[in-house]
Amino acid sequence: MNRNLARILAALAGAVMVTLPALAGAYPLQVARNIMLYMALAVTWDMLLRSGQISFGIAGLFGLGAYASILAVLRAGMPALLSIPFAALLSGVVALIIGFLILRLRAMYFSIVTLALAEIFRIVIQNLVDFTGGPEGVIMKGRIFGGSDSGIYWLTLCGLFVALGASYWFEKSKIHFALTAIRNNEVSARTSGVDIFRWLLLAFVVTSTIQGFLGGIYVQSYGFATPDSVFSADFTLLPLAMALLGGIHSTVGPILGAVLLGLASEYLKLQIPYGHLVVYGIIIIIVILFMPQGLLGLFRKATRGGKGRAS
Amino acid sequence: MAVTRRTGILIVLCIAAAAIIIAWRPTVLIYGIQQAGLYAAIAIPMGLVLGIVHIVNLAHGEFMMVAAYATYFACKALGMDPLLAVLPAAAVTAGFGWIVFQLTIKRALKAPELNQLILTFGLGIVMSQGVNLLFTSQTRKISLDYVSASMDIGDLSFGIWSFVFVAVAVVYAYGLKFFLTRTTLGKAALAVGQNPRGAAIVGIDVNRVYGIVFALALALVGGMGALFITKAAIFPMVGAPFTMKSFCLVAVAGIGNIPGILGASVLLGLSESILRAFRETRGWADIVFFVLIIVVILGRSLKWSFPLKGRKA
Repeated sequence: MNRNLARILAALAGAVMVTLPALAGAYPLQVARNIMLYMALAVTWDMLLRSGQISFGIAGLFGLGAYASILAVLRAGMPALLSIPFAALLSGVVALIIGFLILRLRAMYFSIVTLALAEIFRIVIQNLVDFTGGPEGVIMKGRIFGGSDSGIYWLTLCGLFVALGASYWFEKSKIHFALTAIRNNEVSARTSGVDIFRWLLLAFVVTSTIQGFLGGIYVQSYGFATPDSVFSADFTLLPLAMALLGGIHSTVGPILGAVLLGLASEYLKLQIPYGHLVVYGIIIIIVILFMPQGLLGLFRKATRGGKGRAS
Repeated sequence: MAVTRRTGILIVLCIAAAAIIIAWRPTVLIYGIQQAGLYAAIAIPMGLVLGIVHIVNLAHGEFMMVAAYATYFACKALGMDPLLAVLPAAAVTAGFGWIVFQLTIKRALKAPELNQLILTFGLGIVMSQGVNLLFTSQTRKISLDYVSASMDIGDLSFGIWSFVFVAVAVVYAYGLKFFLTRTTLGKAALAVGQNPRGAAIVGIDVNRVYGIVFALALALVGGMGALFITKAAIFPMVGAPFTMKSFCLVAVAGIGNIPGILGASVLLGLSESILRAFRETRGWADIVFFVLIIVVILGRSLKWSFPLKGRKA
């Protein structure tokens, strides 16, 4: 019953997504793109969280991918469409190298180092003035697909599907068991033969690759990159708030949170141009204190009378 | 013992480096020490909270920023000198911290560590964005005459006001050490930090101690916030880098080792000062703390004989 309902909802959502470019104007498409982008980031953040590691470094890998993509086009003459997978690859490789170092850290040490990542990448980009354009950033001559709104929409949708697909893969394969075991108790996971470092590295590299990929899509759809725009704290804060509000450790939770907060943010941006992020901070605090499992957790409690999941 | 040998080598290296710098450019050393004092004075309260309450307060720098804003507006309204506001700012920030602790952090103490991280991250966002919302992102500064006081030794001239940060850092570090080892409340706090359950068994009200220690740490942060505005311009995001640098220093010193924060901040302040001395490397100074945290923490995690929860202050 419940599963059928979920399928119907998914089919409906899919139908809306596919028909949107034909029906809606430029502004709704732009809103939809933003929501999809943050949704994808929220899902990737949650994928790593399933292993019990909190990353505050989404903006870092995202911005890195953005710069990789735009610089590949500007400096190496790479075709725009090809530069996006290139950005993903580069972010993945960087994440592999960094992961080797920082995944030996746990809990708060890991989190704080990732919190510093965005700042560090920003400083590096800002200082390589000749190559990256420094604090002023770089501008491309035109946007991808000649700036066609529907083209960019499909591209972002593609990014979202990559993130959702990866998340589904994480949920349905044995990765799910490995990450859950690590999250619950590292010692018992290790005694059961789970190679903790390898699985964490896999999760970190996969999520970082997708974040770089999304960064590439973002920069190609706007046609410019400055350190302040692509390493903006928004790219860490919003996905985090969305995933938390929807419900962590699932694919559905971040999707739900992203739709709700994404729509709300469009309204808030108009009402409070400066400082609307304060709302996300408040949401984070309320969710952590009063409903750590998010809306999804509340929903489950309500429908199943407080019983846990059957599986 | 590995600890003493390593510390010995480190001290020798530091003295050698300092000698080279003095011979080459004395102002680099002086400004490095002053910067180190600022970092240490802000990091020490974080070390206190981390060592006893076992919470990483990601809103640490934001608390200082809020204290600085409060001082700024109080001084503007009353025409008061920020120096007179140090104690009131400390008291007000401590009260503010107490309320925040009771309303939010206390409820998350039993929750997983990661929830606390996200919670304090959220608190930081609320504070910085709240200030942004109320007062915009415009930078604000109070000009004071005595801040530009300088001293001449031979043909060398340098500002001396920032030495006040060094003094504050030393007072904080040794004052806390005295508090933790000589007073009843301090000893109770230390006991709670070492083993909350054991402390509860011998009759210490653990949650009350947590609240007091948190408020005390915020009093120290608040005092620094008032001092900070004498020297620097403030804006809503001014606190964020201090959160990360403070954590870096606390981690480098080892959690619970409060006087060690002084040494760690000298290392950080001097390295940054050296990099800032050259035009080519100036922009890279803010990357030092990251390198430091990676090198030190990794060095420790590779050698398990060197536990992160080291000596207690």
